[in-house]
This record gives sequence, C-alpha cells and structure tokens, in this order.
Amino acid sequence: MGAWLARRSLAALAIVLAVVTFTFLLIHLAPGSPFLPPPGRPVDPDALLRTRHTFGLDRPLPVQYVRYLAALLTGDFGPSYSRHETAAAALAGAIPNTLLLAGAALVIDFSLGLALGCWQAARARRAGDVIAGSVTLFIASLPTFWLALVLLLVFGERLRWFPVGGLSDPVTYAALPWIGKLGDRAWHLALPALTLGLVGAAGTARYQRAALLEVLGRDFVRTARAKGLRERRVLLVHALRNALLPFITLAGLAFPFLLTGAVLVETVFAWPGMGKLAADAIFSRDYPLVTASAVIGSAMVVTGSLLADVLYAVADPRTRVPAP
Amino acid sequence: MLGDMRRIVWTAAAALLALASACRPRGGCSGDYCGTLVVALTGEPDVLLPPITEQSESQAVLDQIFLKVADLDTTLNTFGDSAFTPLIARSWEWADPKTLVFHIDPRARWQDGTPVTATDVAFSYDAYVDPKVNSPYAGSLRQISAVTARDSLTAVFRFRQHYPEMFYDAVGALRVLPAHILRGVPREQWATAAFGHQPVGDGPYRFVEWKPGDHIELAADSTFFLGRPHIRRLIFRFTSNQQVAVSQTIAGDADMISFLGPPDVVARARAAPQLALYPYRGSVHTDLVFNFVDPADTTRPHPLFAERDVRRALAMSVDRARLLQSVFGNLARVPPGPMTPMWWIWDTTLAQTKYDTTGARWLLERQGWRDSDGDGIRDKNGVKLSFHLLVPTTSGLRRQYARLLQDQFRKVGAEVQIDEVEPNVLDTRARTGQFDAVLASWNTDPSPSSGIAQTWTREGFGRSNWGRYYNADFERFLAQAESSKTRPQAARAWRGAMQVLNSDAAGIWLYAPDNIAAVHRRVAGVVIRPDAWWALIRLWRIPGDRLIARDRLER
Amino acid sequence: MNPRAWLAVTLAIAAGLAAVALLRRRAAGRPAWRRFFRHPPAAIGIALLVSVTALALLAPLAAPYAPAAQLDIIGLQNQAPSLLHPMGTDLYSRDVWSRLVYGARISLAIGALAMAVAVTVGAVVGALAGYFRRSVDAVLMRLVDVGLAVPRMFILLMIVALWEGLSLPMLVLVIGLTGWFATSRLVRAEVLSLRERGFVESARALGASPARVIFRHVLPNAAAPIVISAALGIGNVILLESGLSFLGLGVAPPIPSWGNMIADGASELATAPWSTLFPGLAIGLVVMALNAVADALRDALDPSQETA
Repeated sequence: MGAWLARRSLAALAIVLAVVTFTFLLIHLAPGSPFLPPPGRPVDPDALLRTRHTFGLDRPLPVQYVRYLAALLTGDFGPSYSRHETAAAALAGAIPNTLLLAGAALVIDFSLGLALGCWQAARARRAGDVIAGSVTLFIASLPTFWLALVLLLVFGERLRWFPVGGLSDPVTYAALPWIGKLGDRAWHLALPALTLGLVGAAGTARYQRAALLEVLGRDFVRTARAKGLRERRVLLVHALRNALLPFITLAGLAFPFLLTGAVLVETVFAWPGMGKLAADAIFSRDYPLVTASAVIGSAMVVTGSLLADVLYAVADPRTRVPAP
Repeated sequence: MLGDMRRIVWTAAAALLALASACRPRGGCSGDYCGTLVVALTGEPDVLLPPITEQSESQAVLDQIFLKVADLDTTLNTFGDSAFTPLIARSWEWADPKTLVFHIDPRARWQDGTPVTATDVAFSYDAYVDPKVNSPYAGSLRQISAVTARDSLTAVFRFRQHYPEMFYDAVGALRVLPAHILRGVPREQWATAAFGHQPVGDGPYRFVEWKPGDHIELAADSTFFLGRPHIRRLIFRFTSNQQVAVSQTIAGDADMISFLGPPDVVARARAAPQLALYPYRGSVHTDLVFNFVDPADTTRPHPLFAERDVRRALAMSVDRARLLQSVFGNLARVPPGPMTPMWWIWDTTLAQTKYDTTGARWLLERQGWRDSDGDGIRDKNGVKLSFHLLVPTTSGLRRQYARLLQDQFRKVGAEVQIDEVEPNVLDTRARTGQFDAVLASWNTDPSPSSGIAQTWTREGFGRSNWGRYYNADFERFLAQAESSKTRPQAARAWRGAMQVLNSDAAGIWLYAPDNIAAVHRRVAGVVIRPDAWWALIRLWRIPGDRLIARDRLER
Repeated sequence: MNPRAWLAVTLAIAAGLAAVALLRRRAAGRPAWRRFFRHPPAAIGIALLVSVTALALLAPLAAPYAPAAQLDIIGLQNQAPSLLHPMGTDLYSRDVWSRLVYGARISLAIGALAMAVAVTVGAVVGALAGYFRRSVDAVLMRLVDVGLAVPRMFILLMIVALWEGLSLPMLVLVIGLTGWFATSRLVRAEVLSLRERGFVESARALGASPARVIFRHVLPNAAAPIVISAALGIGNVILLESGLSFLGLGVAPPIPSWGNMIADGASELATAPWSTLFPGLAIGLVVMALNAVADALRDALDPSQETA
C-alpha cells in the first residue's frame, strides 16, 4: 500500500509539473510579455524590479523556466496587477470560498442525487421513473449560468428568501455570534451551492439509479430477499453500501466540473472565489493572476483525484492494485 | 428505519435553522447618532489617495475622509467666493486681486490627533501639481503660481491673473493631505503606497476596513470639528455592475444608489415601498471620444480618425435623439456639446452635427472610402473602416449604447468591434492612448472651465484628454472665456469654443441623464449636491424613531 | 412570421420525423438499432436534433428578419411574444426567433466542428497509444492525464486572455484541442481489446502497414465509443461556448450565439424574460437530446453495460 501510494503521489506531482511547464510555454508563446505590467499602469518600481529578478524576465528561456519553477515552489506566483496584492495572496483569499461552495454543492449533489436515484430505482420503469428521468436529464442539460440568473431573480430579488449575492452581510457579520456567523454564511451560500449542485445532482441521480438497479439484481440481494427481509431494508442497507463506493471516486473526479461551473456561478452570484477571481482577472487583463489560477486549479484537480484514489483503495480492499 | 432516520434529520435541521435564525445581531444603539448607511457602488475604488484618482467611486469614499479648504454650497455658483462654505478654512480674505489668504480653523485635526496646519495645505498643492504624482487635477490648478504657509494657521494662494472663478479653482480640486505622514513616501510610489489602502484623513469619517471585492467601511468621527455626523457607519458595497447595484437596493440589501438610469429601472425603484426617489440635476454626460493618435504608435495620427470628414461622417450616422429615447425614454437629454445641463453654458441652440446618413455616406465616398470587396465594410488603400470601441463592463447603459452604435455605424459601412473591459483597464488604456474610440462618462465639476480644459486641451495629454485632441482656435476661445469679466462676454467665448468642438467632430455627444437617486425612506435630511451626490452625507440623519436592526448594531 | 418561415419550420420538423421513421425502419433488421429505439427519449432526441439542424441550415428561410437588424429601437423594444414576433424582441428590438435560428447555426457549428477536432485528435492519439503500446503509450497517456487534470474553463480563459482578439475559427480550434482526452482513452481501450481479439495480429500478418491497420481496421471497429463520446462532447462544447459568450469572451456581437443572447438579455430578465428564456431552453433541449441519444447509443452498442 505504501509503495503504491508513493508511486501514485509521484505520478500526481509529475502531472502538476507538466501542467506548469505547459502554462509556462503558453505564456511565452503569447504576444506581449504577460508578466510585465500593462503600459500606463502605475506600479511600485521596487515590486517591478523584484518581479523581473524572480522570473528572470530579461534572461534566455531556459533560465526563465527554471526561475519560474523555483518561484512557484516558494509560492510566488507573481504580482497581481489588478489587485494590490500578490497573485498568491489573491488566490489564498479566494480558494477557501470556492472550496466552501464546491463542498456545499457536492453535499447537495449527493444528497439530492442519492435520494432521487433511490426513489427512481424503487419505481424502475414505471411512470414516476420515466418522468423523473426526463426532468433530471433536462436539468442536467441546462446552462448553469442561466439557472443561476433565474434563481437569483426569483429567490433573491423577487421572493427575498436569499440575499442578492455576496459572501456575508457587510453590515452585520462582524457583530454576530459564531452561530449567527455560520447562519449568515449558510444563507449566502445556499443559492450558489444549489445552482452548482442541482446540475450535478441530476447526473448523480441517473448514475445512482443505474448502479442501484445493477446491484439489486445481484445474488446477495436475492438471498436477502429470500430471507424475508423487507424490500426497503434490502434496498437501503445492502444495496446502498455497495453503490456508495463510486461516490468517493465521483467526489474526487467532480473537481474539474465544479471548478468550471464555479467560474460562471461565482460571477453571477458575486461569490468571491477562484472562478470569479479568474474571470475578473481576464476583464482586468491581469495575466499573472490568470495563469496562477490555471496552475492552482489544475493542482486542485490532481489532488482531488489522488484523494479519491486513496479513499477508494482504503474503502474497498478489492481495488488495492497498482494504478496502470 | 428509513422513517426514523428521516424524522431525526428533519428535527435536527429544523433545530439548527431555528437556532441560526434566532441569532439576531445584538444591538443596543438608540438615539439620533446611530444609523448605518449602506451605499451600493458600481465598481470598486482603485486607490484611496485624492490626487491620484478621478474615479467617482473613489471620490465618494475619499470626500468622507478628506476635507477641502472650502466647498461649494448647493447653488453651485462658481463665480466669486460668496457661495462657498468654510471647511478647513474658517475664513478668508483677498490681500490683493491676485492673492487669497485662508485662515485655518484651529479645531481641524487629523484622525491621529495632529492639528491640520497651513503646511499641509502647501504640501498638498505641491503634490497635486507634481509631475511625479501625475494628478488628473493638475490642470485645474494651473492659474495658481504658488501656495505658501505664512504661519501654521495661514495659507496664502498667489494667482497668475485675476479672473471670476479664481476661488473655485483654489478650493475645488484640492483635498488637503497629511504632510506629516506623506512627506516620507516618495512621490513615484504614491499610486501603490500602503496609505492608499489605509488612509488617514481629517474629515467626518474615519477609515475602518476595506475588504477587496466586497466593501469599504467608514465610521463617524465623533470629535469632528464641524459637528458629529449622525450616521455612525458608512458601508460602501461594491457591485460588479449597475443592475446588481439596483437589485441590491430594491431588495433592501443596500440603502441607497446614486443613479437609477433607464425608465423601467426607475419604475421598479418607485414600486419598492422602502425607497424614496430624489431627482437632481444631471452631472454626468457620456460621449464617444475619438482617438486622434495611432494606438500602436502615439506619435503618429490615427489611420481613421485623423481625417475630420471621417469623424464628421460617423457623427452624422448616429441618430442621437432616437437612441436616447430607446434607452432613457424622456429621462435624459441630448447634449449640444461635452456638457451637462448643470452647467450654465448649456445651450441647445449651438450648431450640432445633424443626423444624416445620406450625407455621411457621401462624405465617406468623397474621402475615398468605398466598399471594394462587397463585404459591407468600406475600405481605402487596403485599410478597412473598422475600429474597436472600448466600453466598461460595469455600465449597462454604455454597453447598450455600444450595441446600438454598432448598428448605426454598420449602416454607413463602418465596422465596430466592442471591447468590454474592467473600468481600471479602460482608464489605463484611455490615458495611454491605446484605443480607437471609447465611450467615456464624465461626472463633471460645477464649472466648465477646469473640466473642459482638462479634457480637450493640450494640458490634458496623458491625463483626461484621452483622444489627444488639440485645436489652437479652441484653446484661444477657452482662454478668452476664462479671463472674461462678465457673464455675457464669457458666454460668447464659450459658444465659440463649443462651435469649434462640434465642427471638428472631436467626439459624439451621446447623453446627459437626469439623475435620480434612490434612498431608504428612513433617512432624513437627504440633500444631494448635483455635482457630488456624496458631498453632504455627513449632514444626513436617521432619526431615533426610525432605526431598523442594522442601525442599532454596535460594531 | 411570414409564410416562408412557417414553411421552413414545417420542413425542419418533417425532416426530424422522417429521419426517425427512416432509422426505425432500418432498425427492424438489426438488434443494436432495436435496442436503441427501446428508449423513447432517444427517438425524440434524434427527431429534435435533426429538426434543429435542418432549421439552422434553413436559417435564411426560417428567419423573417436579419439577426442583427435593430428593427425599431423605440417602438419594438422588449416586445412580448406575438404573432409577428413569436418569441418577442429583445432590448435592441431584434427579433428573438430570427436570432435563435441563426444562433443555432453558430452554436451547433461550433459544437460540431470543435468536437470534430477533438474526436480526430483523440482517436488518432488513442489508436497510436493502443497500437504501439509501451513507451508511445506511456508518453501519450501521461499527456492525457495532464489534459484531464486541467479544468477546461480555466485553460480556455487563460488562452483567451493571453491572445486577445482571438478569431472565431481559432476559438473553435482551441476548444477542440482541450477536449480530446476522454476520447483518446476510450479509443485506446477499444484498440487494446481489439488487439486481444486478434484483429491487429491478423492484419499485420497480412502485411498491412501500421497506418493501414489503424485506419482501415481498428478505427472503424472503435467507432462505437467515438460516436458516443462525440455526442456527449458536442453537448459539453455547446455549454462551454455559451458560458464563454456569456462572459463576453466567446462569440462577439452582433453575431448571435445562444450564449451571448442570454448575456444580452440578462439585464432584462425581470421585465423581458423571453430574450433569455428561449436561448436557455434551446440549449437545454439540444444538450438533453444529445445526452439521451448518447445514453441510448451506449446501450445499443454495448449491451453488457445495461443502464436500464
């Protein structure tokens, strides 16, 4: 297990390195010099000097590459020209918010998806199943930003059930007790997480339904049925346990989808996470920040899938084989 | 079993929800000095240092923190010195026609306790005109030859000549800076210095915190020498665009918004029960500004717009009245020049470019712009009549106008690509001349003199004169207007100047909206000065009997 | 709506129904097709896709107005759906139906072309990896791992930012080049399984060159997973392009795409919802149809992976 873990981690690192190299090449293929401030933008001359030195901007390409790697290793992603802080600081502030949003979205995704999948599996091929199947398929096919706009208008502005964007209430947040803070955060989190999770839930429901139906046909379930246990119990206790395993994998693999969706959802809801940061960075032509987001995003995806593999291996002894 | 589980889950969720919602923020403030005002701002300030920035979002925050020497009252009469209220200066007199002496109020203090002195005033003037600071306001101070501190409480302004708006030029742009703090910061670093994110001022409000991307919070200074502000907390909430700002105000997440815009938005605001609407004379005008120099090489003229007839043709192809009606209904006016109705020189009898697409096409043909390849876009010597229009992402109105203009230009054979960028990027590109055409919105001063000079004369190159327009006749008229001793004399000179701008088609004057602000009903004493809606917030009150939950909060 | 537009709509619907009827007849003789049509959503999906494609092709006929034409910016702004404008008009008094139809051209074309690029690259890479194995396989699959690790939107944002003013064809190419990874894995797996079944060996024994083996024998047999991933991929590309256009980074005005129609209409969501409703629904329905078809295909072409 230890050797496998070591190999898997090394592979993950290699992938991240490859992504970084690719990003580096992309930056240098692009016209202009992205790491320098756009002309006319006021810049602290000391900071500019440091940037030039750290990234070796006047040196030949291989030197720049080495410098770039070294800088990334020390956590220096360059300055952010649109915000008055380094790219790393901007990301450090934004990543927790995206993780929070993604986490909440995953919770909604799985709970809704699981519930719906069970419900559909219990009524396989009857009217309820077919209708639910079509509806979930439709929701899974909707553009997330459109859904976000509609939800924001209906539940935010019209019904006032949820606030119109933002992370927390600037007026009251500081003065709330910790549980109030939690409540305020949750209230602001609800709508964006629902938007992001809803589309995923539709997909999860379909997957779960299929997995449950497959498991229901298996021998051990028939044995349980023969023993005379109630259908419900059979379904839940036995079938679920087996069908749950893929969830772990799904969670790890959901990262790319969640990050992509986050860009649009965060922009609509003004949720200050990585996605909104990247989009704002584009509008501000802040190249160091854009590339930093891409690199960190990839690192998160790789870490997510590594975690998923590890958890899966821990949970299911049958799969403790070296990865191909 | 499933039923049990479900019951447990639901009870737990309900309990948590009840607990969380029962947590109202505790607040015990009562009386007339409570009050939290949440202002919805479109966009975010770039830096909180007065000489550096001319963005109105920054000014809204800055003018709560920093004071001017004296300021206009609501009559906005910029001639002479009778319509000004004392701020840092308690009184003033004229030692001679070209020398102005201010007596500083001894009660004025910086928020770190140090008294405000005449040295601060002299230091501030020096910084504003320093090329290393490159302040956009430097041009408005050009008639002042020197500012000195005779003693700690006496500041002396010396002018180059005597003219009607001398006093306004002295006090209008200059916010006094703390010399004892800023003296140690090298001037080239002012734009990025830490002070710009944690300013220390002498005004009615103190800086509390700035959460980037979210909000800026200010707190009332209870020892403010001109009277303790009634509203205890000021929170400026940033929104990514006008619609979200309006949405927040209507939903009650913000208490005020300074500008509503199109008629359907005004109708929505009117329908919101908690909002009161305050119309005020429009102080904003938006124009399409042509770049006279080549963005790729600012020493060369622009390949398209250096030709006067091309500009005129494009101006003639825009049905400004129709566009205005489509976007604003009757809530805006077509400007006869780059001006707002707030200015006394507003004159709809000025000769303007008429809407005439036939004439536009004829002009273009005559200049050799013909569609040689049948793609609908004119070209000449291999150059297409195609250009980029720079627009900010935050302004829904300008984005809408961009699309409408795109269609108008297409009808005469010009192709437009719309570039939507963040306001700071637009600002940088415009100032450095990296654009073809830009939709610029100006929140104007009460007096035309400094604004027009900054925007349309050589003074403004690299600052507010984005297009690098220069016309000697225009500058002559302007000089005449400024030195005129009587209004009618000045009026004639202004007419001449505007006539030059119009016949040159230096820009296309698109709209001057009648501003309507929406403020929560509980706020009393709302006075809005047309040129600076934020200027008198320190006088607004939320009476003790109208407090709501957010007002009572103690921070 | 004028008679020509109605004619175009009728033709499109007829085309969709005809396609389904035709395929159903073909299905009689083949078990795979029958399995495909056991899913009602699949048939509806095919009909919808063919109809929408036909409509897009017939756009000049189906659209009574030019998509960029601002008809009457004072009198015809934000008009609710009516007989003359069945889907209403938007903020700039442009006919929503006409824009939807022309937008279909753009969105579908981008989807199909980008996916064509992705499938081609993915198939070639997967085939090469599966055929040559060992070092070639290792290198190529590492590349695929890297590709799958990068969140697609972020890399697209980066490219769009670095290369300002990217033309539409280049955008399509870039979208395609960021989406071939899943296809390559599928093709590789297929190639490896074909290897096991001896196809490759026999072809080699007959003296065929690697290229011939790959293109004449392997790829046609790997068609199944390719088609399925293509169907799903087009849906993804349509969603991606609409997201980019919504952010203002995709198709530029005045050319309509379903994504930028939603962006333009977002400010009017409260007062004129039809300008965002119809493009949103269109995207949802087309992507749903593609997903349904892909599901049914998966079933039909590989019954061992029964999902119902």
